[in-house]
Amino acid sequence: MEKNFIVNLIDVTKVYFIGKVKYEVLKGINLDIEKGDFVAIMGPSGGGKSTLLNILGLLDRPTSGKYFFEGKEVSKLSAGELARIRNSRIGFVFQAFHLVPWASALENVLMPLLYGGGITKEKIEYAKNLLERLGLSAYLHFRPPELSGGQQQRVAIARALINNPILLLADEPTGNLDSKSSNEVMDILQELNNQGLTIVMVTHDQEIAKRAKKIKILKDGQFIE
Amino acid sequence: MKLIKFKLLFGGIFYKKLRLFLSILGITIGVASLFTMHTFGESARVRTLQQIETFGPNLLMIVSGQARVRAGRALQAEQTTTLKLEDAQALRRISEITNISPFYTGSAIVRQGGRNISTVINGVNEEYLKIRKFEISEGRNFLKDEIVGFKKVAILGHKVKKELFGNGKAEGETILINRLPFIVIGVLSPIGVDASNQDQDDQILIPITTAMSALFNVDYITGIYVAVSSPDVVPIVEKQIDEILLKRHKVSPKDRDFNIIKAEDIFKFRQEASQLFTTLVQSVSILCLIVGSLGVTAVMLLSVNERRKEIGLRLAIGADRLKILLQFLLESIFISFLGGLIGLFLGIFASIIFLPLLKYPLVIAWRPIIVSSLLTIIFGLISGIYPAYRASKIDPAILLKGM
Repeated sequence: MEKNFIVNLIDVTKVYFIGKVKYEVLKGINLDIEKGDFVAIMGPSGGGKSTLLNILGLLDRPTSGKYFFEGKEVSKLSAGELARIRNSRIGFVFQAFHLVPWASALENVLMPLLYGGGITKEKIEYAKNLLERLGLSAYLHFRPPELSGGQQQRVAIARALINNPILLLADEPTGNLDSKSSNEVMDILQELNNQGLTIVMVTHDQEIAKRAKKIKILKDGQFIE
Repeated sequence: MKLIKFKLLFGGIFYKKLRLFLSILGITIGVASLFTMHTFGESARVRTLQQIETFGPNLLMIVSGQARVRAGRALQAEQTTTLKLEDAQALRRISEITNISPFYTGSAIVRQGGRNISTVINGVNEEYLKIRKFEISEGRNFLKDEIVGFKKVAILGHKVKKELFGNGKAEGETILINRLPFIVIGVLSPIGVDASNQDQDDQILIPITTAMSALFNVDYITGIYVAVSSPDVVPIVEKQIDEILLKRHKVSPKDRDFNIIKAEDIFKFRQEASQLFTTLVQSVSILCLIVGSLGVTAVMLLSVNERRKEIGLRLAIGADRLKILLQFLLESIFISFLGGLIGLFLGIFASIIFLPLLKYPLVIAWRPIIVSSLLTIIFGLISGIYPAYRASKIDPAILLKGM
């Protein structure tokens, strides 16, 4: 594998059984993502977007096929090793933000350090720095319920960045936001991409998808042109 | 930094205060009752030991009638009139007996000045105080002459003296017992409740001769107190007394019309009674703890279900399932322990208030504190296993399904 590929999916399939009914969610996906890419994945509901993102994010394993993450075959790794990669190499941004309501913005950003890296003075400074860069310096000690949707999503982005990941996975990052906040969030993602961060984003929104460098359409478990 | 770490791990516990309160309630009640009952049991034991002191190991009591020791008390099943003063005299020929006092117990109205009280009158002889190890705080003991001479003299119990004379002097004063004048010659030091559960401060001692003739007009006695030279000879003496009295009363052993009670008997029955009580209360408290920990399990399951997204998120940002399992196990232990701690404080509080109120000695033992703490940790662990397992099985894929 060449060095500047972050993700190579080779003939990846995913099959679910609900009761005795078999669902082929992904039917042989081939996907290469280079360092610095900004890929938007679009497609109708039930097309397998979320499943693909789960596999990319090492939250789920493919039924068959191979997944190379940074050139390393990850389908066979133990759960603990996968958790370490998620912690140190991948950042997640979700549609529903998923911040814990009882912790402040700053504390939410520090959360991934619990599971790797450790909470140090430098990291706290770095977290404050990230929040400042995202325009939240006045909200460090606010709790998520006290923040607007756009602000919450920016906190979530800071959380995704705290361990300096190589890949950012965003699932409908603007799905719960108004157009103004959506634009702000997309500006941030584009800015991060310009600084070299690789981003894979799932979205329904044509306008949002256009901000990415590449658009892929996933339908019935396969990419279509 | 430690603080932030702790908060990020366990902040979820305190988020829903009402739920936290409800989940610790069962444990709190369980531990509070466990602790309180333990303390009461311990206190009762100490009190029994104190009472036994007034009925020393070298004492024997002979009571008339088919008396039985029940629940640690000598109960007189029926009144018989066959035990006489002469029986007490006859026992004096047993060489191991050092002191002997027949007694007759009745009740009477006592009048002094304008005050009327009803109290227990014990007719005894001059050896009684020595046998019972009662101290005199004012005045003197009976003289032998007063016993033999049917004198109307009285020694007041501490409480009786207080009621009749307040803080004033009682010695030399005259009181009326059932309208007969008695001269007070002494006052007993405070004694408390004795092994037969009678308040020894609420009594008046008078010569047995006077009690039997002038006051109650009877020819029989209630019983005889016997002190022997050492606790070791108690069984021999008991046997000798039995033989003498059976012969004098001309009855066969199966129709025995008297009963011999030893300190050992009282102690044994007391122990058994308190043992039963303690076991019962402990089972109830353990049951309470089990119900409480089921409560913790239910609330934790609810909490795990409610925090599925948080758990999913923790998995997504790098927690492995073992860490999630440990986190929720620790949460359960923490909740139970918190409940236990509060229960412990409530228990100590209750003991401090109620023990003196019920006239029990205040004993705070370490054992129940340690036992309850350990129990809550164990129950926390047990109640947390299933919810924690459920938490660790949550699929992080739920995060991507929109809300």
